[in-house]
Amino acid sequence: MIRIPYRTWFEFTGWLLCLIGWLFWLQGQIWWWQPLVLWVLVMVLFFLTRGLGYDAGAMPFMAVLAMTGWIFLTRLSPAWASSHTWGILIAGLAYLLGLWTGSKSFGHPLVWAGLAIGLLAATALFGQSAGGARAWISLFGLRFQPVEAARIFLVFYLAHYFTEGRSKRELFAVLGSFLLILAWQRDLGPALLVFFVFCWLSLHWQFSWLKLCGYLAVSVLGFVLACQWFPHFQNRVVAWTQPWEYLDSIGYQVLQGLFALRSGGLAGRGLGAGYVQVIPNVHTDYLFAVIGEEFGFLGTFALLMVYLGLAFWSLRLVHVMTEPRRQLIGLGLTLLLHLQVFLVVGGILRIVPFSGMTLPFVSFGSTSLAAQLGMVGIVAGLGGKGGGD
Amino acid sequence: MRKSFLAIVLMYGLLFAGSFYWQLCAPIQDHPANPRYYQMFKERRGAVYDRNGLALAESAPDGEIFARTYSTASLSHVVGYFHQRYGMTGLERIFHEDLSRGRSLITTLDLAVQQSAEEALKGREGAVVVMKPATGEVLALASAPWVDGNELDANWSDYLADQRSPFLNRATHGLYPPGSTVKPIVYGAALSQEHTVGSQVWDDGGSLAIRNRTIQNFGGKAYGKITADQALALSSNVVFAQLAMELGDGLLTVLREFGLGAEIQFDLPNLGGHVPGRVSSDYDFAQLGIGQGELLVTPLQMAAVASAIANRGIMMRPYVVQEVRGGLKMRQITRPQPIREVMPEEAAAALLGAMELAAAEGTAQTSLDTAFDYGGKTGTAQMGQGSDHAWFIGFAPAERPQAAVAVLVEHGGSGSQVAVPIGVRLLEAALAVDE
Repeated sequence: MIRIPYRTWFEFTGWLLCLIGWLFWLQGQIWWWQPLVLWVLVMVLFFLTRGLGYDAGAMPFMAVLAMTGWIFLTRLSPAWASSHTWGILIAGLAYLLGLWTGSKSFGHPLVWAGLAIGLLAATALFGQSAGGARAWISLFGLRFQPVEAARIFLVFYLAHYFTEGRSKRELFAVLGSFLLILAWQRDLGPALLVFFVFCWLSLHWQFSWLKLCGYLAVSVLGFVLACQWFPHFQNRVVAWTQPWEYLDSIGYQVLQGLFALRSGGLAGRGLGAGYVQVIPNVHTDYLFAVIGEEFGFLGTFALLMVYLGLAFWSLRLVHVMTEPRRQLIGLGLTLLLHLQVFLVVGGILRIVPFSGMTLPFVSFGSTSLAAQLGMVGIVAGLGGKGGGD
Repeated sequence: MRKSFLAIVLMYGLLFAGSFYWQLCAPIQDHPANPRYYQMFKERRGAVYDRNGLALAESAPDGEIFARTYSTASLSHVVGYFHQRYGMTGLERIFHEDLSRGRSLITTLDLAVQQSAEEALKGREGAVVVMKPATGEVLALASAPWVDGNELDANWSDYLADQRSPFLNRATHGLYPPGSTVKPIVYGAALSQEHTVGSQVWDDGGSLAIRNRTIQNFGGKAYGKITADQALALSSNVVFAQLAMELGDGLLTVLREFGLGAEIQFDLPNLGGHVPGRVSSDYDFAQLGIGQGELLVTPLQMAAVASAIANRGIMMRPYVVQEVRGGLKMRQITRPQPIREVMPEEAAAALLGAMELAAAEGTAQTSLDTAFDYGGKTGTAQMGQGSDHAWFIGFAPAERPQAAVAVLVEHGGSGSQVAVPIGVRLLEAALAVDE
């Protein structure tokens, strides 16, 4: 199912290059070397992963997603696309780092927990705010969002917690402080994500209906309390339940996204033909709606199928892992990615309240892209050598 | 693992379903908060033409947007209007997908006939539909009063306050008792059963007692011994009440076959009116036979009835858009389409003769000079309150009809005095169309 033969892989990249070449010819305003560099990067990563003996099956999916993101950013603004090219290059390095990390089994649980909380605390203390949440750290002139890395470390810690049977008190301290700092930073999306991943891993480790009900009850309680305590969150919920009554204030973004999707119809209005400049934060939050408007339902369907393919790839890899800790880390990272897809796309489609995170591999944002490629790298590394095609 | 796998598939399933709904099903496209809505005023919209290629609706640049202009005011009930603030109606709404992509509509309307209809209805409340019987092409469709698509900005509040409902399309949505214009249908039903009914002689004493109630002729006149043809020409209630009672339930079937009681498949939405499902007493059948009682029809339906008679029993589907044209190649042409045979050809021929008699020496006579013979039937729909509605349905030329018409004037009084001259003038205008 996931094994991609050489020939398909070459054909596919050929098509992608044709599309990019067409875009280049059409717009005449991108730098020709950018797609070429990206293509070279994708090929290098693919053959390097293969050469090292790991499963390279995720590369085609990630390449399609990243290239789609790059194409749509080019369509929105060539300046964003240029910056995104660098982001993808850095993410390539993060992928290799992830591969290496995943292939080793090292680290003490408290080191992971310390790293996760330390990064968050540093952001909370020294961070800069943008877009409603104080989530940025500036170091040597580079700006990045530590929370993207922190949640990976937290998954590492959780895997240790379950497999080593560590104390509940420690778990409460680590998870509690992690969530509290995020809440204090008003960055509720990642908090939600991490909480769900914890619940899921816990149920995976030892399933019981009682636990499931307990987690559901806690979620509902947390939802109600968050509505009470965080006006920011309350607005998001109102924008979700009754956007039509606030169509020029808090419901604006959601509705503009829906209008964009609806005007795409089945086959879309064509690349560049959408009217998406009216959507706020379109390049980070709402690329899915742009794809929906310009490539239609067929486009979004294909995009979601690619995500689903990537999910199958990592679940298959996780499934055959024999060591429980590796399996938990692999599953946790897979969930981090795909729950994020669900929350982001579901938020745009009004299935859940919109949480303002990036669409994995597609959206503008170097830190999140690097973290996401890194996660896939880790999963591939955890799978070990000889598992691939 | 199995549960995780299923849960992830379920999650993506939800996303697929959500995409499907919001991209293909959600009815939010024309919401005013959608900026794409205003986009359509910034692009040149396709024009609407009459059958001779004269523009009925056109877009011309006006600052940042394109303004829509209409060649005559009464078009608002058929072509409709398209306005940034007041939305869209009529063909502008129904063919919006095509028009907004720059495609143009070629209608079957004739601007000259439409203007005659507008002239005839000016200052009244009523409706007119002119058709070509052989094809079902609508030459003119007017309803008065109307809103003027060119003057919406200036007059909008007046239109809203107007007690005479200028937004109501009386031709398609006005429901009226047909009065004596139902008699051709009753007569057609009788002729279909028995071809010789036209020469039967009836005794018309001016009123007819049914149980403890009576049916009277208009003005209480007694016509004495008359043939059925003459009864139609003179609009004898006494004779037609008896014909209807003889026909019984068969009459209900025939009324439905003539398209009454059901919406017409037309380019514009329209109401189906009402034909009773079951009639219990003779008196109610008698009422039905003279077009009173429960029966309700639209002027569009009566135009289709007149057309079907004029087309010797074959009812054609009325249509107003004959072609959608876009670019060099895209053409979508509507072809004339028969709905059904409403009566055999011989019966229709006999009915045509009787209606010609009505025009020559009956109630449908006119003092106007005409260069052609016509046939027709008047009607006076008695209302519970206020003065009566005047009806006329007709066709011309009598021997080989090229045009059919239905005229309704609300509170117009007697059909003969008000509706006939309008109908005759419109038939004259319609006969001047091509050929």
